[in-house]
Amino acid sequence: MRGVILMGGSARKELMSKASHGMPETTKAGPYVRSAARKRCTSDFWWGLLFILPAVSLVAIFKIFPLSRGLYDSLFHFAGGWRPEFIGFDNFKRMFGDPVAHKAFFNGVKVMATLPVWVFFPLVLAFLIFQRSPGWRFFQVLFFLPYTIAPIIVGQMFREILSVNGPVNALLKATGLSVLANPWLGSKTTALWAMVAVVLWSFNGLGVVVYLAGLATISEDIFDAASIDGVGFWGKITRIVLPMIWPVIGYWTVLCTGGMLLWMFPFIHALTEGGPGYASMLPEYLVYMTAFRFFERGYGTAIGVALFIFVLGFTFFQVRYMYIIGASEGKK
Amino acid sequence: MRKLKGRTLIGLQHKLGKWTITVILSLYSAIVAAYPVFYTVLNSLKTRLSYAKNRFGFPTSPTLENYADVFSRFNFFRLLFNSFITTLGGVALCTVVAFLAAYAVTKMRIRGSSFIFLLIVATLMIPNQTIMCPLYQTALDMKLVGQYYGLILVYAAFGLPLGTFLIAAYFRGIPDEILEAARIDGANHIQILTRVMFPISIPAVATLAIINMVWMWNDLLLPLLILSQEQRTTLMVAISLIRTQYDVHVPLISAGLAIGMLPVIVTYLLFQRQLVKGMTAGAVKS
Repeated sequence: MRGVILMGGSARKELMSKASHGMPETTKAGPYVRSAARKRCTSDFWWGLLFILPAVSLVAIFKIFPLSRGLYDSLFHFAGGWRPEFIGFDNFKRMFGDPVAHKAFFNGVKVMATLPVWVFFPLVLAFLIFQRSPGWRFFQVLFFLPYTIAPIIVGQMFREILSVNGPVNALLKATGLSVLANPWLGSKTTALWAMVAVVLWSFNGLGVVVYLAGLATISEDIFDAASIDGVGFWGKITRIVLPMIWPVIGYWTVLCTGGMLLWMFPFIHALTEGGPGYASMLPEYLVYMTAFRFFERGYGTAIGVALFIFVLGFTFFQVRYMYIIGASEGKK
Repeated sequence: MRKLKGRTLIGLQHKLGKWTITVILSLYSAIVAAYPVFYTVLNSLKTRLSYAKNRFGFPTSPTLENYADVFSRFNFFRLLFNSFITTLGGVALCTVVAFLAAYAVTKMRIRGSSFIFLLIVATLMIPNQTIMCPLYQTALDMKLVGQYYGLILVYAAFGLPLGTFLIAAYFRGIPDEILEAARIDGANHIQILTRVMFPISIPAVATLAIINMVWMWNDLLLPLLILSQEQRTTLMVAISLIRTQYDVHVPLISAGLAIGMLPVIVTYLLFQRQLVKGMTAGAVKS
């Protein structure tokens, strides 16, 4: 066993396990147990298969298969449920010429332009909570509360709050700003932005707790040391806080960019249904409308596929990040 | 969270500075974070007439009749039951399946286990909206539409990427020596799972269960696809229709919304630490 102790962590564990089964030690232990322990390995294989099978089949049936079916369906025209007709890329061509689809994707780009607010607003709030002024724990709990309320309920709530006679307009009128009073969700110019504000209200708390988790990893000693060195308030922010939570800001930015086009479905459903006209239509809702209201399965799926490609870049980074963390031990 | 002594970490040494921050945060939370909920709850306590007279103030004579009304008009108990059974089923199935998969991927030496892990987590990249149509068709083909277990299966599948990730990340932190010790004592995989791994990983399982509970209870799109029939639909689908049925009766709608948000808010306040921990998993390496 002496040689075993000199080896690295995982190799040692492997050899120990073999030794415990009374098997001869091999000189080199790789990630997979070699012939000496084949018996153990095969039984492990069947058990492993049994454990993995439910997860893989669920994911395969309800995510991977529908995706490939969607890719396939997007090449067909479904006329009233009759035999689908193969039309190649015509659905996609139609999408490129469809003003409604243009509008939806352009609205998507407009929504993405609000990204700085999504990233920095919760950062400021988290930073204020991080100062641990009186009552900070309470604020932390309270700020996250909106996120736990179902989006559809949030939407219904705000439909009242943003209505013509709702509290927002009442407040504006009471403070002499009646010029600004507006049917927020009923006007073509404001509907999309009002909706984004509601979604931001809902997801802001998630951003705050993500940032707080990042801030909590900064050691107090660093601040103490900086104080001794005479670093001031702004110096601490720019030279300690920001560099240290930079990865968290990156993570949250990636999560938002991918998510802001996918989180909105229930909000649109409750607030505007894409209206007035198509002023607040987004691709994800257009998929639903096309497929389930206008019963154009092929075309709807094609828009969905376009949306998938649109957000793929952002979600890819998120998954890569999770994979690196989750597999960090196993992939040494 | 680390030890927190309530001391100021960065500058702003004076008490005045701290209190200024408290005031800013209070104003923000009162006006922005809490008011919409507060407004809804207040309105739910008014009668139709008192709402018309007094939209924004406190109800002069608070009444619970809207709540009684909601329960009688909407077959609310049925909706609550539907939501409960699908959420509980989804949470249970997702947890068990993610637990088994995470164990196999992290603690068993299987060829290609990291590929399988990647395969499961990568399905997070597929937006629900992209596959809603083919998913509905698939569910139809499998006769899952209109069945509780149909929605439960779909919930479990959609919760798996994050679930497997969370539990696998937790398992990586459990030293293999513990498992080896159990194996030497003659435990098989099932015994290791139930008697060793499960007790150790209760925090991770609890976190996952709460996260799943929140999104499954709140989800709209999947029940809209799978359980749209009136008898078996969930609370959230019913709430999405509430306005088309009683468009002008704001207090009644408010009561429905208040009941709808109550279970999750209570769960959150009870388990807020686990929930926040789970939500931020992935953001911070710990």
